[in-house]
Amino acid sequence: MGIEFRHVVKRFENGTEALSDVSIAIPTGSMTFLTGHSGAGKTTFLNLLLRLDSPTRGSVLVNDVDIAGIKRRHLPVYRRHLGVVFQDGQLLDGRSIFDNVALPLHVAGTRARDMARRVRAALGSVDLLAKARLLPAQLSAGERQRVVIARAVVNRPKILLADEPTGNLDPTLSRTIIRLFRRFHDVGVTVVVASHDTELVGTMGSRVVELDHGRIVGQGGTSADG
Amino acid sequence: MARVRIWQAESRPWSAYWRDHGRVVGDTLSYVTGRFATTLWVWLTIGVALAVPAALYLLEANLGQAAGQWRENLGFSVYYKPGVPLNEPQTLAKRLQAMDGVERVWLMTPDEALAEFRELSGIGDALGLLEDNPLPASVRATVNATVSTDGVARLAEEAAGANGVADVVVERSWLERLGAVREIVIRLYWSLAAILGLGAVLTSGATVRLAIESRLEEVKVLTLVGAGRAYVRRPFLYLGAVYGLGGAVIAAMAVSGLLLLLEGPLVRLFASYGRDLELAGFDPIFHVMLLAAGAVLGVLGAAAASRQRLDRMGLA
Repeated sequence: MGIEFRHVVKRFENGTEALSDVSIAIPTGSMTFLTGHSGAGKTTFLNLLLRLDSPTRGSVLVNDVDIAGIKRRHLPVYRRHLGVVFQDGQLLDGRSIFDNVALPLHVAGTRARDMARRVRAALGSVDLLAKARLLPAQLSAGERQRVVIARAVVNRPKILLADEPTGNLDPTLSRTIIRLFRRFHDVGVTVVVASHDTELVGTMGSRVVELDHGRIVGQGGTSADG
Repeated sequence: MARVRIWQAESRPWSAYWRDHGRVVGDTLSYVTGRFATTLWVWLTIGVALAVPAALYLLEANLGQAAGQWRENLGFSVYYKPGVPLNEPQTLAKRLQAMDGVERVWLMTPDEALAEFRELSGIGDALGLLEDNPLPASVRATVNATVSTDGVARLAEEAAGANGVADVVVERSWLERLGAVREIVIRLYWSLAAILGLGAVLTSGATVRLAIESRLEEVKVLTLVGAGRAYVRRPFLYLGAVYGLGGAVIAAMAVSGLLLLLEGPLVRLFASYGRDLELAGFDPIFHVMLLAAGAVLGVLGAAAASRQRLDRMGLA
């Protein structure tokens, strides 16, 4: 699925303009890094894609469909096409790693026999199958973030969104996490990663879009990666 | 490549639906047992709110039964002047028996009246000193269920016009008083049911709201992985139902205890009126209705709280 922002403006009630006339096309199957300092508009960009927010002006298109037109009752189904990874992980403490990863499948109503197979495959893809029965508190920060990635991809999303996925991790773990995203990009998933770590994203050889005060101020790397 | 319609879901199998409900029931029971002190507090609060209207409902049902029993005696008595020939009350008795709505008619001759008075008054020996029987003949009639108290009054008026009649007494005052008391109880019941029912809804809603606050992270995650509003709200609605059902069980226990406490004095009171006590309303239907009312009120509170909270979050 491709993504396109057309002259998108997002102004909050307090007058802050988080995005100012942003236009960008992210092709299907590409990998794009959004960079910029805190407050540049990266998270707003992702929230608009998730339709947690709506643009003040302009349109956000996913698969050539203006997502503003998706009815409220259809939003959950739209979100099932997206895999989401956030900095703080947001794992449910009382549930095992297996159950945390299975959450999107429960929500989608996947049959039990398919569920176990897909959760094992997702955990295998982040090398955590052996820890499926543990609780989140029993894992390291890097492992927890890999569980979140497994949860984001278990539903075979067409688009993978990540907001500062390496924020709490050391440089070695950060590279491991980014390499995981590359792996999903390699199998055709459109990946958008927001990160303030310009040094890290600069080494990945993917398209880099730099935001500053809600405007695109630079683009680099491979423009149609994938 | 075929266009993927990004808002259309595949149909969910029924097995997934039931599996979700089963999981939520398990999670809910685990949640309430894990916070038993809070749960017990909520159950007691809702229980008190339900017990008061439940007790009033039983009171009303029993007053209704008592009114029905008293109604069986609804009628009037016609007293003749002393010395009136017996054929007069006999004629009236026949006339009344033929009237629509009259159930039974008894004729009591002066001799029968004296014998009964002798037996009931305990002054039989003193009565033996009288030269003449001072008691008049009388006719008593009861009516069937089709006749209203006004209808009884009309029949009594007609009887009063017969020859030799001294007085006619309509036995309806008790029934009218009982009816008035019953009316008060019914109004009190509905008023308190509405006020305390609202209290139960608010209690459930406030507690469920706290549960939502403690599980906000879970709600956010569920929303981001594509859970619909019904899916997100389901655990909280079950929680409301458990609070309401638990409250109803407490209310049933409280009412049972109250009846146990009152049964002895009530049996003696009824016996003094020559009646056996058979409590009305305290049956399986009453218990099912009480449990259903508890569950519905609990769910209503949870539905309002979860709707309001999720709307405010703007997520689901």
